[in-house]
Amino acid sequence: MRKRLRGVGVLMIGLFCLIENALAETTKGKIQSPTDAWNHTWTEVLWDLWIIGGVFAVVAVYLLIKYRAKSPDAVGTAVPLNLDKMLAWALVPLALFMADDFLLAAKGWTLWNIQRTVPENAMEVKVTGNQWFFEYEYENGVESEELVVPVGKPVVLRMTSNDVIHSFGLSDYRLKEDIIPGRITYMWFYPDKPHKSHVLCVEFCGTNHSQMYSEVRAIPQAEFDTWLAKQAE
Amino acid sequence: MKQYSLAFLSVVLFTSAISTSAYAQYFRRPTSNIDPQIMIIDETKVLGEKITPDVMLIDQNGREFQWREMLGKPTILVLAYYSCDGACSLINSMLQERLSDLTRVKAGDDYQIVTLSFDRHDNLKTTGAFKRHLDLTGPLSKHWTFATFKSEQDLKRETEKIGFKFFWVPEDRLFLHPGAFLFFSPQGRLVRILYQQDVDAGDVELAILDAKQGQFRPAEVINFAISLCYSYNYKDGKYALNIPLFVGLGALIFGLSTFFGSIILFRIKKGKQKIRDRYNAETA
Amino acid sequence: MTTATEIADHQSGFSLREWIFTTDHKKVGVLYLIGAMAAFVVAGLMAVGIRLEQMSPGESGLINYFVLDFAGAMSTGDAYNVALYFHGAAMILAFLIPGLTGFAANYLVPLMIGAPDVAFPRVNALSLWLFWGGIVLALLTFVIPDKPDIMWTGYPPYSITTTSNTALYVFTVHLIGFSSILGAVNFLTTIIYMRAPGMGWNQMNMFVWTTFAAFMIQIVFVPVLAAAVTLLLLDKYIGTGFFDAARGGDPLLYQNLFWFYSHPAVYVIFLPAVGLLFDIIATQAKNMVFNYKTAVYGGVIGILAITGEVWVHHLYIAGMPDWIRIGMMISTLLISLPVGLVLISLWGTLYKGAITYNLSMWYAVVCLFLILVGGLTGIPLAITSMTVHLSETSFVHAHFHFIMGLMATFALFAAVYHWFPKITGRSADSGMAKAAFWFKVIGTQVTFWPLFIIGVRGMPRRYWDYQMFPEFEPYHQVATFGAALIGIGVILMIVGWIYSAIRGPRVGSNPWGSRSLEWTHTDSPPGHGNFSKPIEIDEKWMPYNYR
Repeated sequence: MRKRLRGVGVLMIGLFCLIENALAETTKGKIQSPTDAWNHTWTEVLWDLWIIGGVFAVVAVYLLIKYRAKSPDAVGTAVPLNLDKMLAWALVPLALFMADDFLLAAKGWTLWNIQRTVPENAMEVKVTGNQWFFEYEYENGVESEELVVPVGKPVVLRMTSNDVIHSFGLSDYRLKEDIIPGRITYMWFYPDKPHKSHVLCVEFCGTNHSQMYSEVRAIPQAEFDTWLAKQAE
Repeated sequence: MKQYSLAFLSVVLFTSAISTSAYAQYFRRPTSNIDPQIMIIDETKVLGEKITPDVMLIDQNGREFQWREMLGKPTILVLAYYSCDGACSLINSMLQERLSDLTRVKAGDDYQIVTLSFDRHDNLKTTGAFKRHLDLTGPLSKHWTFATFKSEQDLKRETEKIGFKFFWVPEDRLFLHPGAFLFFSPQGRLVRILYQQDVDAGDVELAILDAKQGQFRPAEVINFAISLCYSYNYKDGKYALNIPLFVGLGALIFGLSTFFGSIILFRIKKGKQKIRDRYNAETA
Repeated sequence: MTTATEIADHQSGFSLREWIFTTDHKKVGVLYLIGAMAAFVVAGLMAVGIRLEQMSPGESGLINYFVLDFAGAMSTGDAYNVALYFHGAAMILAFLIPGLTGFAANYLVPLMIGAPDVAFPRVNALSLWLFWGGIVLALLTFVIPDKPDIMWTGYPPYSITTTSNTALYVFTVHLIGFSSILGAVNFLTTIIYMRAPGMGWNQMNMFVWTTFAAFMIQIVFVPVLAAAVTLLLLDKYIGTGFFDAARGGDPLLYQNLFWFYSHPAVYVIFLPAVGLLFDIIATQAKNMVFNYKTAVYGGVIGILAITGEVWVHHLYIAGMPDWIRIGMMISTLLISLPVGLVLISLWGTLYKGAITYNLSMWYAVVCLFLILVGGLTGIPLAITSMTVHLSETSFVHAHFHFIMGLMATFALFAAVYHWFPKITGRSADSGMAKAAFWFKVIGTQVTFWPLFIIGVRGMPRRYWDYQMFPEFEPYHQVATFGAALIGIGVILMIVGWIYSAIRGPRVGSNPWGSRSLEWTHTDSPPGHGNFSKPIEIDEKWMPYNYR
């Protein structure tokens, strides 16, 4: 029993080291794209899921095959657990699950800090949600119905809604945040290469909810400057 | 409805802005050249805006500093001009009055105040005179900065950005401008606008708590709870009790009391019979 | 009301009057099942319509027929939203919760604890009729011209500004919610006070424990939902501004109140479903529940303790303050602790067992794997920063369908097959039932796995038109094919039940050789007063003592 508890202690220490590691990652200097960070964390989380799921599934299949009734009158032969075993079967799994939880929480928090820490030089675009279209306003007052951004510059979106709740879903950039009347929400993304994608409304907003989307174009800076100048005319 | 209330608000603003010195002339002058709409900051357009962090300002002691220095805690910004002997000092002294009533939040710890001139003619002398005239005491005087923009270009750009409109009325030799308190979050984003003639101390306090954007220290549990209990009403420009929260809490208490009530009811009504049943079962 | 004439009625056969005015918990239970299955069939039809509409990106217009709009008066978007509203609201409020805490709890709990009936039989009948009233009200959706289209969540401001009928939604929630509260009052008192003499808390069936926990959740949290939707009603029809941002209200507060109930509601469904699985697996493996006390006090009570502190994970992208999104991420991840203990006990119950494979066991076995998939896909959704992308995609859609739509539903069907001999005196096992099982198992996997895949790639939920993602069309077609298989399976299953209830082979009062009171001490079906012989319970007795 005492040995087991010591094992739990070792596990916990290991876990804190892992959290330390995860937090250390946030202190890097250069711009980390929340998109790449999401993809990276997703792969790790997926491994976690496959391992846990695999263990449980294999054990289940084994038990289901091994303990078939050999005769119609056969009964199970398991005996009640004594107190030591009972506690061990509660505490050891709890420690393992908790360790995994904190590991995942640390990973998630690291990613969250990237997602929520807007780089200082970010270009700001105002987004207004309406039933059923998005409006964009650039810093120089240019208004647009598509989101055009220069490659290599972080973009922060300052969002609000004129009517009901919408949500700004940049699925290709792995980001999403609701747009709420009477409140300002924000998110930022980092278009690091030319890319054409869509932003979709992903919070149910009525009849044409599934047709509320607009194009998102990341284009080279020079092209962007021409585009912006042309819009300003 | 919204238009009417806006119009009403703007009329009130307009009168208060010129009431002190130019009240008599006001009626003689044709009013058609002033659009009352101009006195209102369109909140939906500007909430969430921020003042460029590297804008250079000059404080009452002649020290140059960047707006960036104001980040890190909530900031109340008042836009005024220092040669003004009427409305502007009124706005500031009103804020001073309200702030000295506050007990839950402290200047310096929880917030700071900046009065910023939008008049390019203001200088160190007028700034100093204005501050002296206001006669600040205690922590308020330490954490209340009076400043001017260093460059006129910045002045124009930044006031425009936060939707603050003002203009010079030559006949009356004064500026017309909204009497507004602007609350900025620690990250420097505009969170709330309150108008001078509406607010009481409670509104100012709630706006400061709002400006904290949920970043409360553990010791501030009560402040956090208070900020949850109220929500801002755009129509009236004031804070109001957040009724649904209390309805929800009431419902929760109702649920819990139904549970305990039904147990007690059962004990009273069936308790005797149950004892009899158990006796029967045991003797059967 | 237990008079000799009623007993005579029971023996002489069917009496409609007796069924309508019944206060017998067994009949109430069966009527709950009939109502729940009616809701399931209609809501399932809506699901078929939804899948048909999603088969191709553009508009097919088929969905209009499903919501009885034959004239084409509604746009495809509106018709789709109505179908989606009904599917969600009916499946959760009128099928899963009443199926598990109405049918299963009513039929089984008094039998399992050795009680002649529930504590307040007339209140029980009242809650049944409130539930039926709720079902009728929900079905009115298809009759009225301004069909509600606000989803089962009913978020303002949309639910206030829409021209559709929010009142119908609110009153449906009121009726079914009130029915739940009465049920909770009834069953909590029944379990606390009416256990057979000598039966201690640690000798109750797992299903009784999970029902106890589920009803604790209902009684505490349902009033909050009722209050929230009532404010919605006042906002829309009286003109108050509780949730109107421009008038000092806060639309986000509704979401908080709603999920403050509706996340616990997931456990109202999950817990009894797991309780049924425990009882079925322990019976069919003729084995004791592994680590019973840990499963109860760590698992079931643990879930009960944590259930009220995790609701913000439904609002991860809804603009809540950052610190609360992180705080609730940690509490949400910690759900894995009690759920993990429950799973270990479920798995452990197989260990050293003597498993007999029959239809109810097959359903239970499938449920074990469904819990795994549904539970594990919940992990990324517990992590705030992962949810920033996954939220509102069909990944979420597939995740909660694995837990609620598949696991809980299959557990309920397993229960019907398992206790069918008790309810009718006949076996429900037939070729048709076996075929139904395979149609449903294969159909569900074919339907929901593609949704996981396209969900991660960005396919949003609640979309009928996905022109921006033409590459997802094949996945949707596969999913629709799966839905057709499920449809066939469900029809076969229900026809099989009806056939077996009338013509199925008669079996004895305890065909599985169970040691639980409802099998050992009652006839099939049980008569009035339930028990055919006196119950004697000593300290060693357990419903799972096979050795």
